[in-house]
Amino acid sequence: MFVAKVTGSVVATQKVATMRGHKLLVVEPYRLDQQNRRQLTTTGRTFVAVDTLGAGIGDFVLIVQGSSARFTPETQQLPIDCVVIGIVDSVSVDKHAIYHRTGDSREE
Amino acid sequence: MQIALVVGHATATVKHPTLEGQKLLVAQPLMRDGCSADGPPLLVVDRLGAGIGDQIVITSDGRAVRELFGLENSPIRWTVLGMADRPDWQRTNELSKDE
Amino acid sequence: MKIHRTIGHVTLNRAHPSYQGARLVLAEPLGTEMVGGLSESEPELIAVWDDLGAGPGSVIAVSDGAEAAQPFRPELKAVDAYCSAILDFVHIDEKVKQRIRW
Repeated sequence: MFVAKVTGSVVATQKVATMRGHKLLVVEPYRLDQQNRRQLTTTGRTFVAVDTLGAGIGDFVLIVQGSSARFTPETQQLPIDCVVIGIVDSVSVDKHAIYHRTGDSREE
Repeated sequence: MQIALVVGHATATVKHPTLEGQKLLVAQPLMRDGCSADGPPLLVVDRLGAGIGDQIVITSDGRAVRELFGLENSPIRWTVLGMADRPDWQRTNELSKDE
Repeated sequence: MKIHRTIGHVTLNRAHPSYQGARLVLAEPLGTEMVGGLSESEPELIAVWDDLGAGPGSVIAVSDGAEAAQPFRPELKAVDAYCSAILDFVHIDEKVKQRIRW
């Protein structure tokens, strides 16, 4: 799994039938800033993930990738390899809290 | 499957029950030149008795591990399939270099 | 499995029901530098499902891919990184290590 920030969403009118009704988010995996290890920084990569939890832009989320993304009752039948499994509350590194979700962290 | 070089081994007291009694090797997957690293080293379960410095054939088929060893619910992914007596793939490279 | 070092943990505000009570540690790859390669300048940060109680700085074996979800079967659990062992000791042969080209 990895921590990623929700940076957008994808609206696709034309999509395979099984994907109807599923919200797609654009997420950017984050890593630890090696200069300042109390800060997360973007990897610059992006993935499209199915959202089952109602995550919004600006949220940090936990992403499951690969065939494991289908190991939930909701995604078992979907042709997907990336799913939002949690909305991150806190991240702590080297015993320091480096992120804590607040009500206004959402940019939506 | 990949060719890998056994560079070490690891021990663990606290582990998943299916790792109990298993030998864990540290193996470095290699490129076709037989010495360049291909990705990070892997922890590989070995029942054949491979030793440090050996070239081995490893598989990532976790299902094979579960079937071969009869281990249900095991998170083991990599296992030793065989030990290369003298890797032909390396010999082929040597020959092509001579040409 | 791959060799990682735990550096922290992550908690969830809202989660899929199968993740209730999950213990998730954050880890960075350690294997490559252990066998003589350069440590990455931008190492990936992964979250690993941990039922073994790895503390900060633990060296752990991480199972990835579909194998990471095997321990939970027959329960369906979307896990792609699972802490299979807390390593006490990793021995690397200094001489054999020199044979690897990076």
